[in-house]
Formats: sequence, structure tokens, C-alpha cells
Amino acid sequence: MSETFTIKIDGRECVALQGETVLQVARREGIQIPTLCDDKRLDPAGACRACLVEIDGQRRLQPSCAWKAADGQNVKTHQSSPRVQRHQDVLVSLYMSDHKLDEQGLPVETPNGNDLRAWAKDCSTLKLDPVNAPRVARPGDKNPYIHFDPELCVLCARCTRYCDEVEAVNAITLTNRGSETTIGTAGMRGLLDTSCELCGGCVDTCPTGALIEKKSPKTLPEQVTKVRTTCNYCGVGCQMDLNVAKVDGQERVVRVTSPEPGTTVNDGNLCVKGRFAYDFIHHKDRITEPMIRKADGKLHVVSWDEAIKFAAEGLKRAAQRHGPESVGFISSARCTGEENFLMGKLARAVFKTGNVHSCAAT
Amino acid sequence: MKSFGAGVMSNSIPEIRELDFMFIIGSNTTEAHPIIGMEMKIARQRGARLVVADPRKIWLAEHADVHMQLKPGSDVWLINAMAKVIVDEGLVNQDFIDKHTEGWPALKANLEKFNLAEAERMTGVPAADIKAVAVEYAKTRKAAIYYTLGITEHAHGTDNIFSLANLVMMTGHLGVPFGGLNSLRGQNNVQGATDAGATPLYYVGFQPAQDPEVQKKFEQAWATDLPATIGKHLNTMMKGIEEGSMKALYVMGEDILISEPNTNHLEHGVKELEFLIHQDIFMNETTKYAHVVLPGANFAEKDGVFTNTDRRVQRVRKAVNPPGNARPDWQILCDVARAAGYAMPHYKNAGEIYAEIASLAPRYAGISHERLDRTPMGLQWPCTSPEHDGTVYMHKDGPVKGKGSFIVTNYRPPVELPDEEYPFNLATGRVLYHYNAGTQTRRDSGTMAKVGECQIEVHAEDAARLGVAEGDWVKVVSRRGGIKARVWLSGRVQKGHVWMPLHFTDSAINKLTVDVGDPLAGTAEYKVCAVNLLPLKDKKPAAAGAELEAVRHPQA
Ligand code: SF4
Ligand code: SF4
Ligand code: FES
Repeated sequence: MSETFTIKIDGRECVALQGETVLQVARREGIQIPTLCDDKRLDPAGACRACLVEIDGQRRLQPSCAWKAADGQNVKTHQSSPRVQRHQDVLVSLYMSDHKLDEQGLPVETPNGNDLRAWAKDCSTLKLDPVNAPRVARPGDKNPYIHFDPELCVLCARCTRYCDEVEAVNAITLTNRGSETTIGTAGMRGLLDTSCELCGGCVDTCPTGALIEKKSPKTLPEQVTKVRTTCNYCGVGCQMDLNVAKVDGQERVVRVTSPEPGTTVNDGNLCVKGRFAYDFIHHKDRITEPMIRKADGKLHVVSWDEAIKFAAEGLKRAAQRHGPESVGFISSARCTGEENFLMGKLARAVFKTGNVHSCAAT
Repeated sequence: MKSFGAGVMSNSIPEIRELDFMFIIGSNTTEAHPIIGMEMKIARQRGARLVVADPRKIWLAEHADVHMQLKPGSDVWLINAMAKVIVDEGLVNQDFIDKHTEGWPALKANLEKFNLAEAERMTGVPAADIKAVAVEYAKTRKAAIYYTLGITEHAHGTDNIFSLANLVMMTGHLGVPFGGLNSLRGQNNVQGATDAGATPLYYVGFQPAQDPEVQKKFEQAWATDLPATIGKHLNTMMKGIEEGSMKALYVMGEDILISEPNTNHLEHGVKELEFLIHQDIFMNETTKYAHVVLPGANFAEKDGVFTNTDRRVQRVRKAVNPPGNARPDWQILCDVARAAGYAMPHYKNAGEIYAEIASLAPRYAGISHERLDRTPMGLQWPCTSPEHDGTVYMHKDGPVKGKGSFIVTNYRPPVELPDEEYPFNLATGRVLYHYNAGTQTRRDSGTMAKVGECQIEVHAEDAARLGVAEGDWVKVVSRRGGIKARVWLSGRVQKGHVWMPLHFTDSAINKLTVDVGDPLAGTAEYKVCAVNLLPLKDKKPAAAGAELEAVRHPQA
């Protein structure tokens, strides 16, 4: 069992577990510390400096995301330390001098949110001259899913670290130097021509919306309703949020996002199918009407009543003529548990046969 | 499962990252179960040892400490040889064997013949590797085994699984956290379909269909008489269709003409069916012969549950309406039952159906939609009461079925071996970017941009001999049919072997495969069949997807 001890944050006694960082303790206690480069799934990078706190005995401010909690430690966040608040005011202003701003002078909102915007709202920002660093995207990247806007990138390296530490394919890296540093690929090739598996984890972890999904480039977070559900592809059972918005007056799934890391079986991760392959949901090829094959050999649209009656009678006729053993029910691993249950019940209770199985039972 | 009860993942996905040793056999996990693959990568980065037994040099194999590149179909040899090493090295867990199992003496005797030298010859895996891996597995406490399709969709898939179960039990890696025998199920709800009773062998919750007590219980609950015998499983039904003894079929959410092996024969039988209902979200090959087509809803348009590969029951929630007049499948099923004269209850929602499931099946008795709505991690069965937290790892107090059975297994050669006319061994499987017959992923621009055509992995030397280069089209022919595919020199397959994904309907791979089923599981031999490759002159056959286009939206 891990040892516990207490530390003080802004004068409050907080319980800490052996090995935890100051940030982890603060989060559990509901104490807000701004962060950009922190992601539970990644090793701390201490890169963005947003999370600095004052720690007794330390001359410099220290990154709470990387600093281990120790027994009796006394920590001050911006809530109780004017020095930390001053640091944040300056830092956020520096970030903003090299970031896309809206009419109110705030970091722009994006379809993927923007943590810098929320943070800036909490600070007394200074007006600094824009820097406009000459960073490049990847011109000619034809990948269908992921868009990168270097003007929104804060170089927290969450995407590149995710690609390395979690997805383990190293498709993207920090490229170029100094003010030209950007997110690149080997030879600045498009993602389709790299080891990228289009998992979209880089989009998920990006804190400022520099990475967004190409398929819904306009829809902002406040315009969607999220519905938590289970992925319909493989047997891992990842939890995902279907983002629903009105498109031409119709409710549509416009995007799929993953739950907070650490809360579900997939720890905030999804694969390419779960995150991006949702076009089938509203595809024009969907069957929309019940149909019956008539004497001309063609399928004709009919009412539900007619179709159901025809279906039930067709099965009954075969069962009467040839016995229940001649009728079969193929259920589907694609359908819900309740539906599979009902298919079994239909076969056994209604048509008196145990001929029920799901297809491709693997 | 016959070995220790329940052919499922004995342990859990979140345990993976804490493991010290992973043995992965016949599972291309990073492509077929990407997020489980990711957990394995995390374990690997933490320092866990990774051993991959697979004929192909898949991603995990490249990152493994040991890649056992065995000959396709030689799994039983490999596993039994490992078991013999464990015996010879005195590494069996006699305590576990004595307390929790039966059949050990017979198994031990049978292992005698699986000596290392012969094992190397039969499997192609160096004897030293077999020995080292066996010893390490037996000695490591947090050691787990993962297997999937590769090993189950094989005519003797169950033999492979019994062999693995023997390995797990003789080393006592069962009933403990961070261990077990873990079957990675292919589809979102394949576990849930069996759990729910969509199988000839069981009523919901694995209650044996031929047990008179069970029959009585369900007759009472459903207020009707029920069949006294078990029914036919899928393979037998398909055979019945081919032979004409099956007359009517209700197919929900599947394309039997794509997903079943040896499709040519089956298609003929399906044409002759007196009555065929096809209920689905897209038209497919099966629709062509349907007498009635009923438009169902996809997962975003209805409520219910899926059960994933680690027995985790999780909610599916309606986010949008089905298009046009399409309806949730559960409502359609209820209507058909009523129209056929049965008093199906008027369930107001899917939660009420689940309540019926929970009332009839003790192992889900503690699960309800309401409870799942409060539990973002889902509930892992068995979950027997509202107070029960669910089961993270099974067989804690000994095997669920009482005593675990050691089952003797012996090598049987694949049903079809390469010969002069068909010199290549074909295996099939999944790629990351597509799913099953591709009805969904082939409708997405991105997954198609990544992998848009049916490819066939060929060894570079074989390709050179045939005079074909990367990207050339070839006709792949077996004794049963032929399909077109593009040559892909992936560097993953061994000489004499070829490999294809199963996602492309316009080159329906199941036209090639053998439909001898595993005698127990009723799954067909998808895995190994003999083929030849004929280079095609015109390197560009008709565009992919043309056939799919042709069947959509018939005019009213
Ligand atoms: S999509 Fe995934 S694999 Fe591709 S660059 Fe992003 S994190 Fe890496
Ligand atoms: S997101 Fe990918 S890994 Fe997760 S359940 Fe879906 S298909 Fe499987
Ligand atoms: S969150 Fe701590 S330095 Fe970025």
C-alpha cells in the first residue's frame, strides 16, 4: 500500500500519496492550477511553465506538474501568492503575443476548445506587441482527418509526446529551432505518408485547438451536446462521446471525442475507427424504408404494418410446412445485448426452435 | 469453456499495463484491438517482457523481446512443447494442480512426445526460444496470455485454446490479478450476443438449453412452451441452407454472403430459400435475395448495452434519430413476435428489456441501465446483486466450473495444405483501418485513403518469381473460387505464405476459404487455405465498391 502524508496548499491541509506530484494532490482537492503541457497519460514535461507554484525552501517557482509532493511541504498557488499570480500574468501575455486573438483580444475559441483562452480570462494580461513567429504547418498534407494550425500552437509538445509515449509510432516531432519551432513530420510529409495511425490522440490532447478534426472545422464546443456511448467497432468497448449538433435543422453526429483520461476503460484514448470513422451514421446509403419483394422480382417500399405482417407470416408458413427446425435466426454482434436477447426469445418462444446464433461468433 | 468454465477474458484490460510478461499468440492486437494494443505498449515501455507468437512480422512482433514466427497451424505443437519444458524444468504449480484441477496425469503423459527438437522442426521456432519463453512464463508471477481470431477461427481452434488453458493451469496463472487466459473478442458485442442467448447452446446467461430445469424456468417466465432440444449453430445452419433443409431465415445486422466461408455454395442455397428477412442499416449481398427488408438503427440511434471483451457491460445511448422510417431493431423484433401471435411485452425502453435479462440470468442480476448510468467504467459480469461490484478477474476461488480440466490435445495438420497447383498458404485477418466486411469503414474517406483496396501481402522473393511488383493486380485462386487483389510487399509474411484482409466485399475473400468448422465452436476455417496467384494483364480492374453501389436504394 502506498504511504500517505500531508502537505499544505494555500494553507489547506491536503492528503498526498507517495509518488504523487503537487498538481495531482491539488487537483484531487479541487484546487485549480492552470496547465498546458500536462496530460495524465504522459510523463511530466515541465515545458509550459503555466503550473508554477511557490514551494517553501525553493528560491525559484517550480512546476507543480513535475514536482513531487513531500511530507510537510508548504505550497502556494496564485490564490495565495502574488508572485505566482504575477508570473502567470506575464506568461499568459507572452503566449498571447504569439497566438491568434479574437476581437476582444482573447485567444480564439476553437472547435477543440482553447485552454489558453480560459486561463487568460483569469489573469490581468499586459498588452505586448505581437510576435508573429514564422512557424510553418505542413503544406500539402492531404490526410482526411487532422488539421494543424501553427498560429495556435503553444509548443507544449503534448501531441508529439502522445504520439511517442502512448501511440508509440513517433509520426510527429518538434521540428526547426527557436521561434520557427513547429510540429513536423520526417521530411514534412503528409501524415498519410508517415507511420501515423490516425488515432487522433494528438487532437484529443492538444490544449489550444492547434490540432482540430478536419471534418467539423466550424462547430464550437458550446454548440454540441455530448452523448456518452460505447464504440460500435471492436471488442475493446471504448467509451466515447458522440458530439451532436444541428446541421440544416437536423440533429447530426458531427464529431466523436474521448472521455477524460482515467475515467473509462480506454483512458481517454480511441483508435482511428472509433474517433473518425463515423460517416456511416448519416450515410446516404442507409436503408430508410421497409420493403417487400413483389412479383416483378423487385423490392418495393411498403408500410411498416405491411412489412411486419409479411415477415411474420413468411416465417410462420415455413415453420408450418417444414417444421420449426427449418427456420433459422441469425443475430448480430453488431446489435445490442437486448436485441440479441429478443432474437433468442423470438426463435425459441415464438417459433419453437433453438436455431439462433450470431454471425461470425469470434 | 470446457477447461475452466467461460471462454472469455478471465482478467481485465486495465490490468495489462501492470504486467511483467505478456504472451500474445495469434493476435494482431495493435490492429484488431488497438486500445488493448496501446495498453500493451504502455506495459512494454514500463519494462514488461513481450513475447509474440505469430506467423507474420506484425507491429507487436517487431517490438517484442521474442518473436516466435511459427508456421501457420502449428500452434498446438508450440504450446504443448512449452508445457513439456515446464514439466521437465520442474516449474509446474503442483499446489494449484492438486487443489483446482483434474486430468493432470493424462496430460502429463501426453506431453511426452512434444520434445523440443521435433517442436523446432514442426513450428519453425528455435528450440532455445521455446524453452526460454516457457521458463520465463512459468517463473513470472504477473504473466498473462492473450489470443484472438488467429487462433479461434481455425478448424482446430478449440484445441489451441485447450492447450493454452493447460499452460495457464499447470503454472497457476489463474484466479489471480495480472494473469489469466484472455480471449480478445473481435466485435463490439460478440460477447454480449452469446451472453444474451443468441446461441443454440444457451439461454441468456449461459444457462444450458438442453437442461429441462432451465427450459421449465423459461417456459414459466415467457408463458409458452419451448423447444426441448438445442438448435443448430451457424455453420450447421449454413450447411442446411446449401443442402436445402433450411427453408426460412431471419438475418439481423449481418451479411451472411460476405462473412461466411466458401460463399459460392452458400449463395446458391440462399437463392433457393423460401423466405428470407434481412434487417440492417445498409443493403448488402444478402439483401439481393431478401423477400423483406427491414431498416434498422445503428448504435448512435438506439439505447441498450454492449458487452466488451473483458466482460464489461456498458451503455449504448441514443444520440440521434434513425433516418426516414428506420427503427431501433428491438422494436422491430417485438413487432414481428406480436404479429406472429406471441404476447411479447410492450417494453417502453431498452432498460425494461435489460430488467428482464437481469431477472432471468443470475450472473447479470446486479446490472441495470440505471446502475450503468452511474458507473462510467461499466460493470464486469458476474455481477450478481445490486451490491456486487462486478468481477475484475475470474476464478478467484478456483475455477468457476469447480475443477479445471486438463484436456489432452494433439497436432492435426490443416485441412488444406499447399500443393503444386496451389502453392501458397493463405491466411486472412484484419487491418487497423477497416472493420469486418467494411460496410461502415469503407464509407469513410479517411480509412479508405489509408487502405482503399484489397491487398495481398506477398514475400518479395515469391513476388519476384511470379514476376509481379508492389501494386500490381493478381488473381488469387483457390479450389473454390478466385478474387482480385493488389500485391503488397509488406515484409511481414514468410516465403510461401500470403495474407489478406477480410474487409473488401468486391473481392469477397470468403469465396476462397474452406468451410469446415471447428467441431466444437462451430467457427469456420478462415485461417489457412491453399491458393495460387495469377498475375493480371490489365492492372486496373473495375473500381472498388462498384458492386456495393449497384445494390443501394432500389427505386420504389
Ligand atoms: S494521429 Fe496518432 S499516430 Fe498520428 S500523429 Fe497524431 S498521435 Fe501520432
Ligand atoms: S475506438 Fe477503436 S479500439 Fe476502441 S472500441 Fe472502437 S474500434 Fe475498438
Ligand atoms: S503543466 Fe506544468 S509545466 Fe506545463
